[in-house]
Amino acid sequence: MSGSGKIDFENLKPEDFELHLPELFASAQGKLSEDSRLQKFFTKYPTSLALVRDLETIAETARGLLEPTEEPSDDVWTNIQSKLLEENGGIGDDDDQPQDAPRPNGGLPKQ
Amino acid sequence: MTQAPPAKSNPGLFKRNPPIAGEAEAIEAAKNGDPEAFSKLYALHKRRVYTLCLRMLGNVSEAEDMTQEAFLHLFRKLGSFRGESAFSTWLHRLTVNLVLMHLRKKGLNLVSLEETINPSEEDAPKRDFGSRDPILAGSVDRVALERAVASLPPGYRMVFVLHDVEGFEHNEIATMLDCSTGNSKSQLHKARLRLRELLRENQAAQPETIPEVAK
Repeated sequence: MSGSGKIDFENLKPEDFELHLPELFASAQGKLSEDSRLQKFFTKYPTSLALVRDLETIAETARGLLEPTEEPSDDVWTNIQSKLLEENGGIGDDDDQPQDAPRPNGGLPKQ
Repeated sequence: MTQAPPAKSNPGLFKRNPPIAGEAEAIEAAKNGDPEAFSKLYALHKRRVYTLCLRMLGNVSEAEDMTQEAFLHLFRKLGSFRGESAFSTWLHRLTVNLVLMHLRKKGLNLVSLEETINPSEEDAPKRDFGSRDPILAGSVDRVALERAVASLPPGYRMVFVLHDVEGFEHNEIATMLDCSTGNSKSQLHKARLRLRELLRENQAAQPETIPEVAK
């Protein structure tokens, strides 16, 4: 994919615009729909502007999905505790463990 | 133990993943073997790690297994965390790498990761240059988007979740997925186009609502 530097913004057609879109989105400083180089094109081709705005809306909404909605079952923590007990040869018995490793020295508490 | 100052911090990552109150102390205490502190780290991050696994894998059982693996791995590797990025970013990267390793193992000798990233043509979004399509009504419902993301082909979903949800850069995704940055950009774009189609279908299927009167 070519960079946005090679695009002829003055004579851009929707087909070419869509080909360049992945790179344009990736290199956009701020909103692509507000890019000054594209305003003339967007005025001429409002459908392309609508497409860009839709994709911006999707990306913006996606950022809100970072906040988690799901929670693992309690079994996950129980299994972690069991595995760590196995691996460390007994939580609390940490005399022969390497100094730089995190060691639970009193057993992992319940969640 | 004193906390090492962030050597090469990325302000963007800290902005997106601001430190959680009490997290730094818990990290240092957990490094020194404090079980309460490790438990606190689990409590603080279990939901985000699990949600990430679930989004990447689309399967509750596998997501729980990978959450477990991620925290076991965290326990073993916590000593190497130097605070150069936000802890949650570091933990998420660790989780993503584990999930990808898991997927590679699953697809061994069956489908290469590159093929997994590139879904079949039937799954690809339709091109609609210049045609008059219904546009999204200015906003997207979070639940509808979540549902649409879940129905994306795995390759699209992976890049979309990593870039648009988790905030990784294309060069980071390319490294993680062992593909080119161009491929990552292209897959992300196709994923967004496919989501647009799915969301428009969803909106079209909704019963018409009475528009709100402008205040």
